[in-house]
Amino acid sequence: MKRTLSIILAVITVLSTLIAFASCSKVSASADLDNVKERGKIVVGMECAYAPYNWTQPDSNEYTVKLPSGAYADGYDVQIAKKIATYLGVELEIQAIEWDGLLPALESGGIDMIIAGMSPTEERKLSIDFSDTYFDSNLVMVVRKDGAYASASTLGDFAGARITAQQNTFHYTVIEQISGVAKQTALQDFAALMQALSSGAIDGYVCEKPGAVSAVASNPDFAFVEFEDGKGFACDPAESSISVGVRKGSSLTAEINKVLAGISKTDREALMDAAIARQPAED
Amino acid sequence: MASEYWLQFLTGTLNTIVMAVVGTLAGLLIGLLIAIVRTLPVRPQDSRFKKALMKAVHFLLGAYIEIIRGTPMMVQALIVHYSLFIKLGLPNLLSALIIISVNTGAYMAEIVRGGIISVGRGQAEGAASIGMTHMQTMNLVVLPQALRNVMPSVCNEFVVNIKDSSVLSVISITELMFVSKQAGGAYAKFVPAYVICAIIYFVLTFTVSRLMRFIEKKMDGGGEVICGSQSDPAAEIRVREEDAPDV
Repeated sequence: MKRTLSIILAVITVLSTLIAFASCSKVSASADLDNVKERGKIVVGMECAYAPYNWTQPDSNEYTVKLPSGAYADGYDVQIAKKIATYLGVELEIQAIEWDGLLPALESGGIDMIIAGMSPTEERKLSIDFSDTYFDSNLVMVVRKDGAYASASTLGDFAGARITAQQNTFHYTVIEQISGVAKQTALQDFAALMQALSSGAIDGYVCEKPGAVSAVASNPDFAFVEFEDGKGFACDPAESSISVGVRKGSSLTAEINKVLAGISKTDREALMDAAIARQPAED
Repeated sequence: MASEYWLQFLTGTLNTIVMAVVGTLAGLLIGLLIAIVRTLPVRPQDSRFKKALMKAVHFLLGAYIEIIRGTPMMVQALIVHYSLFIKLGLPNLLSALIIISVNTGAYMAEIVRGGIISVGRGQAEGAASIGMTHMQTMNLVVLPQALRNVMPSVCNEFVVNIKDSSVLSVISITELMFVSKQAGGAYAKFVPAYVICAIIYFVLTFTVSRLMRFIEKKMDGGGEVICGSQSDPAAEIRVREEDAPDV
């Protein structure tokens, strides 16, 4: 009896140690800035699969940053990351992580910032902090050029249309503002959205303007509908912009905001246009 | 696009192959060990200590198999890597290999158990009657036969691993699927990238299944393919290699 009991106790002790070890996932974020400066390196996470914000290319130029896999990353997000790293006086390292892994990577200390075209929604603010916006964009609708909605100009024109957007983004929630819309299931990423649109499964998808410009540039049968001021989606400007994600209470936030304050709106437009011009194009 | 990104596709494919091969082999080892431990006999005359220990071990192994099989590998990767492995400072690829091996091990444990059951009871009885210990019976008589029987299932697991390794892109492994997404995302043109991805996956899985078939034939030995039961001589159907059904 005693022996059995002691064995069971031993097993329970071992298991609870393991569980305790596994559940301490909070990293002290107020020491972030010092840690980064001491290491001499800041690690940024992004997907590198989403032109013109961040993409992967095989060759390097003066704008690219080398990825651990041997390819090079470029894009608007990469340029912002470079500016932050230069300001802090540290090296920049970029990790390519799939979207679902970005938040866990940040919270566990694997990366220091998320610069991945991520918007500061209320749900995300529960787990991480965001800096000021580093790009404002308006929402547009990507449609087929030969479709019924190519000449639409207001939200009301899309009544009865089958519209969708990317999963887990605020793009999907704003679709409800179109009265009479046939909202479809959210799709996982832009590959799925573009495929659904070109095959006719949907009539349009909601997207930010730079993404729409890229999509239209590489797919001649797409067009995008830009709404006039006041006639488009009503969204909280804070939520429809993109910001840098950092850990809760991080000391990096103040520094990042300083850098962003020094980049004016015209600078940002210029950076974005340059990124769009640089993105790979099929010959 | 293919001409520009060929190096990325190649490194992505290599990552996928490494993860699938190591995952399947290590998983098979884990599965064999678990199967051996689970078949350890507990006799009424054993000490209470041993009985209690075996009960605890059975419970733990059962829990391991059910939990690992019952949760998606992506969730396991996210939880284990970001809560534990990152603190230990493990490189991403090592972390991915551990996760995929542990995941495959749970499935292999059940597959090997099925293989052991398929070896007739007469084999174990015969071994016991000539005085072999449990470990000798396992290592010299039962497992060699069981291993041959589980080969088709192991091949299945191998093929599944090749494709399932794509979820490990959430822990920053640039494998084939993620590379295809990056290549397509650079051009905002995903269909050509994913077609290339599908072709490469097909070549990998087809090669693997042919390779496993070749290994099975070698295990059977003597140019004969066994299409019947190994334990019931009356049910045996032995065919010559040239007549073997090409499955």
